[in-house]
Amino acid sequence: MADKETEKAKMQNVSRLKLSLITGYGLIVIAAVLFVSVIAVKKTDAVLKNQASSMVSSLNVQMKMNMNSYLSRMETIGTLAFAEESSYRYDATDPNNDEYEALNTEKLISDKLYSLCIMENFVDYGIVYRNNHTVGKISNGTATLFNDHLFTDLSQIVSRQRTKDGWTAGYQDNFKRIYYVKQIHENALLVISFYASELQSVFDNPETINGMEIRLTNQNQDIIYSSQSYEVGLPLSPEIAERVQNQSSATVIDNAYLVSVNTCGDDWYVICSIPTKQILREKNEMQLYILFAGLIAAVLAVAMGAILSVKLAEPVTNIVSELDTMAHIDQLTGILNKRSFEEYTENRLAHAFNFEEHALILIDIDNFKGVNDTLGHSYGDKVLSAVGGMMRTVFPDQDYLGRIGGDEFAVFLNTSESDMNYESYVSSKCEALCEGFRNHYTGDDGKYKISASIGVALFPGHGKTFKELYKNADQALYASKHRGKDTYTIFGSQEGKL
Amino acid sequence: MKKIRICLLALTMFPFLLSSCAEKQVIRAQQEQTEITLSWWGNDDRNEYTIEAVREFERLHPEIKVKCSYSEWSGYESRSRVQMVSATEADVMQINFSWLSQYSPDGKGYYNIEDLSDVIDLSNFSEEMLAYGRRGGILNAIPIAMNTETLYINKTLYQSYGLDVPQTWDDLFHAAAVMKKDDIYPFGAAAKSVWLYFITYAEQVSGKPFMKDDHSIGFSAAEFQLMVELYVRMIQEHVMPQVEYFERINIDNSIYGGTVAWVSDAENYLGNAMKNGNEVVVADYTAITPEQTGKGWYAKPATLYAVSVNTDHPTEAAQLLDFLLNSQEMALLQGIEKGIPLSASARSWLEEENMLNGLQYEASLCMEQTEGLSPMYPFMENTNMLNAFIDACNAVLYEKQTAEDAGKELYKMALSGLKG
Repeated sequence: MADKETEKAKMQNVSRLKLSLITGYGLIVIAAVLFVSVIAVKKTDAVLKNQASSMVSSLNVQMKMNMNSYLSRMETIGTLAFAEESSYRYDATDPNNDEYEALNTEKLISDKLYSLCIMENFVDYGIVYRNNHTVGKISNGTATLFNDHLFTDLSQIVSRQRTKDGWTAGYQDNFKRIYYVKQIHENALLVISFYASELQSVFDNPETINGMEIRLTNQNQDIIYSSQSYEVGLPLSPEIAERVQNQSSATVIDNAYLVSVNTCGDDWYVICSIPTKQILREKNEMQLYILFAGLIAAVLAVAMGAILSVKLAEPVTNIVSELDTMAHIDQLTGILNKRSFEEYTENRLAHAFNFEEHALILIDIDNFKGVNDTLGHSYGDKVLSAVGGMMRTVFPDQDYLGRIGGDEFAVFLNTSESDMNYESYVSSKCEALCEGFRNHYTGDDGKYKISASIGVALFPGHGKTFKELYKNADQALYASKHRGKDTYTIFGSQEGKL
Repeated sequence: MKKIRICLLALTMFPFLLSSCAEKQVIRAQQEQTEITLSWWGNDDRNEYTIEAVREFERLHPEIKVKCSYSEWSGYESRSRVQMVSATEADVMQINFSWLSQYSPDGKGYYNIEDLSDVIDLSNFSEEMLAYGRRGGILNAIPIAMNTETLYINKTLYQSYGLDVPQTWDDLFHAAAVMKKDDIYPFGAAAKSVWLYFITYAEQVSGKPFMKDDHSIGFSAAEFQLMVELYVRMIQEHVMPQVEYFERINIDNSIYGGTVAWVSDAENYLGNAMKNGNEVVVADYTAITPEQTGKGWYAKPATLYAVSVNTDHPTEAAQLLDFLLNSQEMALLQGIEKGIPLSASARSWLEEENMLNGLQYEASLCMEQTEGLSPMYPFMENTNMLNAFIDACNAVLYEKQTAEDAGKELYKMALSGLKG
């Protein structure tokens, strides 16, 4: 029936609207969650970078303190050599030395020096005189490295005027050993050396951040110690060097590196560096968590939104549906009201082709006034309601049924029978309708016989518009009345067909 | 509606649930390492490869951290003594042969390594070799290689003076007479090598052993006198420099025509001289006549590894010890720096890599092939005796004492040292 299709169409509109609402809501929620997640990730980036900077900086300071402490301990052991008076009074270059006494004095000094460094992993711990004579432990490695320049080159290492001492690494590009030299007197130097690998005890940190490199460089940015041992002796890589250029105590972070530098000892630098992406790798994990949480929140919000939307839309849909029904349906008979019937019929005719066949059937209840006057309006209403039911019984759902006046009804036929002449088909329907009236509406005691007069106009022969068809069907109805009622008339035939 | 309320409630509780998760206590386990110590003495090469080997061991055993304690020989003996008497010795120690009798006369001074045989593969060592490390039947140490003092000669330098490689003591004096004009010494040596070298001389001259089979002193004052006199004569005739003025760099510079050093020190002492284009050879063991070569010369385990009897981590110490003795990594890093390894496993790695060659290998072969070399007595490496000998030599050299008196004092000291 027309009202059902209409209702279906309306409900589809409502469903589409509902879907649009849910989709829109979902998109807004997802966008909001994404926005919040991105903000959270950005903030996490900043926080993480700050935290990492702070941590690396503090580690770097700790390493610097370790290094200073280590160097200071070495210097203290060097100073202890002065505890033996002969170590600073004796001069092996003095030509007036008695050779035997000199031997014994040197033995005394050697014994003292050995006892002072007994527990240290020193390569050298001895005194070098201006004539390159040595006392104590001066290794063959050092003697070979410095050769004839032993005293002169070692004396160049003394850089601090107050304490007359100094440190060096990388003498003749040999970075295996680190030297500490302290002037004893103008012809004697105390020399301590140890392997650079010993600094592992200073910088070793098994709990350090993954990917972090710790290096010690001299003032020329040559690497004295590195957690990557193959780097020792090489210049600091340019990407690290440029970040610590002219910095004595700072932490620098950018998109490529986090670098922290601190000066220690004798113009040496402790440098901790880590690729920024290494730090942010942990952030990426966190980012995944945030996005995952955001995704869950979005899914939950969308799901809840959808449920709420459905739940909230249901009563509205019902009300809309009811209002829609009320606007189109005659409440008493359950079929289309006059306006809707005309609208649907006009709309259908507007799209109809000439080869199609339709019929407009007008129905007027005979003697209906008598029913109202005699049996009362309430009974009259029952009759009208029953007429609606009867029409629904006679005509298929595809046909439009309407109440177009107090006791006037209309049918617009959309259907036909393929094996039957169309006019015959229409006649059969009209006949069935008349028969329906005759059989069922005779009142409680049968005193008031109810019948109907019917007029029919056919499309396209009797008109192509609703107005034309109505006019002609009405004439046919009039003809039925004129002929004595309880009959139907097809426009043009002007004869009842009972 | 009830379901909606539950859902809303769940949704509301979600952030609280998350925040409560965030406040959960976080415990991060720190990397635990067992720290053990390793001590050794040695030159640059030994220090470097041992440190590298230790790093490799730590890489293979990240749960173990090895703290290294090392030094050149001079001073190391004192450090070792201090550590042993103060119970602060390293968990794994490179020890000298003489320390076994000094610190573990009854076998209780070091860990019984056989108790660790489930970790250390002792099957790589013959029982004859392990016997060097036993005290009182207890396996206190495992020898790394055999060693003896050897005379190495810069043949190129000798030939430049028209001299053959010396075989006898007289050859050395003859060489000194030829080389003196250029202030070149036929050889130079450190104090300990000189001491052992001159014991050989005194044994050859006197026919007496330094020590008897019953471990009592075999020398008399006269033999010590012979040694002192030889020292003074060699200094005066420019055969060698005083030990106080011995500098290894002078071997490199061809100021010394040779040196007396351990087999295990051959590459270390002569490497640079060979790099400088000199042909260096292993001389016959010096004797009065060439036929007597080997007489009065002694061999001993080069060095040994022992485990501290006080170690708190015997298993970890054993793992390190096995790595140092038998592993491919250590064998290839060490090569024949300490002599030809006694470990069958280490030796096979070296054979496989064709690393059994060079001066040190030649010196080892000479040691193995020469008859007459005796096992060294630990007392022969007694530091007090050595220092007293050098002091006595100087006293005689500078005419503060006669050689006869010096010999008597040294004899007395030997007697008291052996009693003590």
